[in-house]
Amino acid sequence: MKGTIKDLLKISGVYGYSIARGNTIQVKLPSKHRFADAKQRIQHLYESLMEESNKPGNIIEIYLEDIVLTIFLSGSTMLMVISNGLTNLALLRMTGKLVLATLVKEKHK
Amino acid sequence: MNQEIHGELENTRCSEIIKILSLGKRTGRLMLNNGAETGNIFFQDGDPIHAQCGPIEGNKAIYEIAVWTSGEYHFYVDDTPDVITVNSSSEEILNEAAIRIRQMDRVSSLISSSSMVYTLDADINEKEINLKSIQWKVIAHINGKRSISDIAQIVGLTVSDTLKVFYTIIKLGLLREADNSDSVQQKLKAELPGTPFVNALNNDFMKAIGPIASFIISATAEDMGFDLLSDDVDHRAAFIETLSSKILDEDMALYFLNTMTDWLKSGAIR
Repeated sequence: MKGTIKDLLKISGVYGYSIARGNTIQVKLPSKHRFADAKQRIQHLYESLMEESNKPGNIIEIYLEDIVLTIFLSGSTMLMVISNGLTNLALLRMTGKLVLATLVKEKHK
Repeated sequence: MNQEIHGELENTRCSEIIKILSLGKRTGRLMLNNGAETGNIFFQDGDPIHAQCGPIEGNKAIYEIAVWTSGEYHFYVDDTPDVITVNSSSEEILNEAAIRIRQMDRVSSLISSSSMVYTLDADINEKEINLKSIQWKVIAHINGKRSISDIAQIVGLTVSDTLKVFYTIIKLGLLREADNSDSVQQKLKAELPGTPFVNALNNDFMKAIGPIASFIISATAEDMGFDLLSDDVDHRAAFIETLSSKILDEDMALYFLNTMTDWLKSGAIR
């Protein structure tokens, strides 16, 4: 496995993802998904998590009614994966860690 | 065959028996056994005239037997040999045996028995070490599995001579006892079931953290209440994730995650 976004999207139940770095926010979700237009809210969440005092860990899971937000943090990079509740979350966390490591590595190149 | 004297070497060592037989000007065969080997010393009017211990004959055989500290002996009166291999007097032999016994006592203080198993110690402090050819010959056969007696047989030395060589090599700091860490490692390894998943897990985790991998897998499974034989992908993934968090080196942790994620994803065909 190369640890790319494609690997994440192959996991059953994953709807899409968001990558935030500094002032840049990228959201990839099906257009009809209710989080597709949530760029602003993701921006707020990112800014809030970037404050050292608010950082609860490197991986954060937020359980909503029918959605799970899995957030991976490394330095100023945030990867958020949006999936349903039936997703194998352990597999998602494993893959997410690899994807984030690749993203950070690419950033430093 | 008339057996007249017998006893245990724990109470009377070989040199003392030789002294008694010599003073009594006895003729016959002294047979000694230390549990692993048997030796014979033939006497003619109190003087040793032939000795044999395994493939060794003559004075050397007596010196080999003289250092035994356990086992039993029997003296068979009037038993005579076909050959004469010892030409020294009792006194000369006893003097030499006394020197050998002192040497062996020193060796025994470091090496408790010839059944001990040693392995090469990678943690060497000396910058330069000079080895004699016999030391090198012995080292070449040390593998953490062979005992000192096994190596003695391979290199064609007597057990006592091999013990002395081991003593010198240990003093140089080149060896450590293999028993503890190696056997524990094997024991821990044996505790893991040999399924394809566990084998893959163990191999990759070992690459990441070294030989204690199997121990950590076993302990983590116990802590998490995870059955290593379970086919459940969710549980397996959670277990892999927990294991990866125990790898301190970030790159190695990612490597482990990567290979095991691949393994899990192709799990459908396993």
